[in-house]
Amino acid sequence: MAITLDFRTHADQSCRYAEEFVNIYYDCVDKKRRNLTRLYLDKATLVWNGNAVSGQDALGEFFESLPSSEFQVLTLDCQPVHEQATQGQTTLLVVTCGMVKFEGNKQRFFNQNFLLTAQASPNSDQPVWKIASDCFRFQDWNN
Amino acid sequence: MADGGRYYNEHDDRTAPFPSRKGRGHKNRSFDRRDRRRGGHPGGFGPGPRSRLLDDTDGDVTMSDSSQDSSSQNRFTPYVRPSRKPDGRFDRRQMPGGRGIPGGGGRRERSVRNRLGWYKVTIPHGKKYDKKWLITALQNICPVQYTPVQYHVDHNRAHFYVEDSAAAGALRKCSHKITDSDGYKVELHVNPSNPPSFLQSDLKPEQLEHLKQCMAKRFDGSQQALDLNNIRTDPDLVSQNIEVILNRKTNMEAVLKIIEENIPELACLNLSNNRIHKLDDLADVVTKVPNLKALNLSQNELKTDRELDKLKGLKLVELWLSNNPLCDHFKDQPAYISAVRQRFPRLLKLDGCDLPPPIGFDVETPTAIPPSKGSCFGSDEIKALILRFLQQYYSIYDSGDRQPLLDAYHDGASLSITTPYTSQNPSRSSLGEYYKDSRNLKRIKDSTMRFRLLKHTRLNVVAFLNELPKTQHDIASFTVDVNTYTNTLLSFTVSGVFKEVVVDGKSRESTMAFSRVFITVPAGNSGLCIVNDQLFIRMATTEEIRKAFVAPAPTPSSSPVPTLTAPQQEMLTAFSLKSGMNLEWSQKCLQDNEWDFNRAAQIFTQLKAEGKIPDVAFIK
Repeated sequence: MAITLDFRTHADQSCRYAEEFVNIYYDCVDKKRRNLTRLYLDKATLVWNGNAVSGQDALGEFFESLPSSEFQVLTLDCQPVHEQATQGQTTLLVVTCGMVKFEGNKQRFFNQNFLLTAQASPNSDQPVWKIASDCFRFQDWNN
Repeated sequence: MADGGRYYNEHDDRTAPFPSRKGRGHKNRSFDRRDRRRGGHPGGFGPGPRSRLLDDTDGDVTMSDSSQDSSSQNRFTPYVRPSRKPDGRFDRRQMPGGRGIPGGGGRRERSVRNRLGWYKVTIPHGKKYDKKWLITALQNICPVQYTPVQYHVDHNRAHFYVEDSAAAGALRKCSHKITDSDGYKVELHVNPSNPPSFLQSDLKPEQLEHLKQCMAKRFDGSQQALDLNNIRTDPDLVSQNIEVILNRKTNMEAVLKIIEENIPELACLNLSNNRIHKLDDLADVVTKVPNLKALNLSQNELKTDRELDKLKGLKLVELWLSNNPLCDHFKDQPAYISAVRQRFPRLLKLDGCDLPPPIGFDVETPTAIPPSKGSCFGSDEIKALILRFLQQYYSIYDSGDRQPLLDAYHDGASLSITTPYTSQNPSRSSLGEYYKDSRNLKRIKDSTMRFRLLKHTRLNVVAFLNELPKTQHDIASFTVDVNTYTNTLLSFTVSGVFKEVVVDGKSRESTMAFSRVFITVPAGNSGLCIVNDQLFIRMATTEEIRKAFVAPAPTPSSSPVPTLTAPQQEMLTAFSLKSGMNLEWSQKCLQDNEWDFNRAAQIFTQLKAEGKIPDVAFIK
């Protein structure tokens, strides 16, 4: 019983973090792209429509090359990741779907998911969430 | 101005038609001067003697600010319209896609048209769709061939016209047949209507032919320049009682259409002196005449520089705007130049005066997005691991009994699903089965509900999966992206399509698309054990439905594993050993050959030699 309660608290907290995260993340992508890499771990990986990008520098370069964007999130879900997979490091799976309009391109639907891990921060005495992995695909990427 | 003036002024009265039909237009145009000299009059429609006389006295117009306009107006009778008969207005061949400017009558066509009539097709939320996607999707499912006419968006709606009651009837049946990528069914309304506005032209086909010849006369092929200065007073048109008023939508559209079909590489266009007061009807020039470099709009009625926004995108080098009311609104010349340059940053000449060359910034804003690629596994080793896992997982998932999936999940596993919100009554769409379990945190704010929708622990997860509709997944459609790979974790995203399997004739045969994140930990025997599973489901798009389940390779998932007799089991093991294929594929091969070991072996050897057996068959 105690375990269930713990999981429930954990799940409940996760939802709040996920909601906060998507607000910050998509705002950053659309309006403060240069700050975006700060949300990622040093060794984070991104798979963007099958293109793999890894490491903060490469990520920065990649995001700079993307046209300016307007994201709209339609669905959001999240789960606490089982600790056996993360060796005890608090980790969240965040899954979104929505629409995005990149400048000069037509509006498209996308699916995206993130693994967020809690890290000690040099700037704060509290841990902060960092993106360990990011996977993005247009729903119609194959057309 | 000097340059522009030279070629704009040089139109002459020698007539030569544009090539008679589109199609030949691009490559085979005969617009240069020599051709026109050779060409002489086209049969039948050349200017009569009177028009020649007029042309000789008043034909050449200049781009200078001289007021020759007033003199020509004396002869111009704006309120005398050419006689119009309703049945003469609409000619099939005038329509986009119909191509070509008709040469003459078309009596037969007219009678046909009366019988057919026009229908307006309305798509209530059509604004959000890409026109090309929607038109293609409709044409794919509509059994009657038709040409969509005048596709346009009005508020949230999209509209187009069709001209055939059979097509209209067929389209009416296409309502709710197409599913967009958000899971919505596309709704169509089809109603009888007046003909589309652009066909309510003041110009009859034969008049359009005159206009075309008049434009040919005013075209200078050596400079790719078309001079339509004061076109309404052109003697050739006036003599035919044809009134071309470029501030009239239909007339401007007719002119643009002739340009698009005959001289799409036009570089210079003179529209001076045509009483143009807004540029809405000229806006299409941006896409239809992309090479346009010089545009003369002087001596018109443009009231504000905001009209120029409608022409944004033209890469103009020269522009004339003098003698328009808008010119008086600027406090000084720099303000005027700045306002114009804002719309046309590459402009070098305004009203004939050289502008200081534009200096840009070295910050091209990117609009290109990286090309999409297929699966991203990272390494062959991981690829083999994941493919084997997916083969096994979906062979059970699709088998009709998902209970054995208990082996695939960790004791503390979590699972949740999301589907996009649908405005339709969810119970009426196939997504309804999933929608009630959709854990979309954007919509569900209640923490108890959120928790209830998160399935936790292995038993709950598998029990939940067992209740979901029976499915068949198209493994050939799968795309896999590996998110993270460490010693303790392999996380990957799978997307693809599946269809619901009809059970007791109850379920609908509907195809859906999914995107699913698996987070797994290593399990014994180099397997994977799922700790987190997030499943996103939406209706498949028409394009996805078209592509689904067409891959030739049979999927082992379509043949459930159990119910083998003991001899069959024995034969299977032996066949797998001998062929090197895994059990699923060995069984498939044996089943296809009615459990005749030798025949199966023979077929296997043959297919293997031909390279027709996929790699996944050998992953054990």
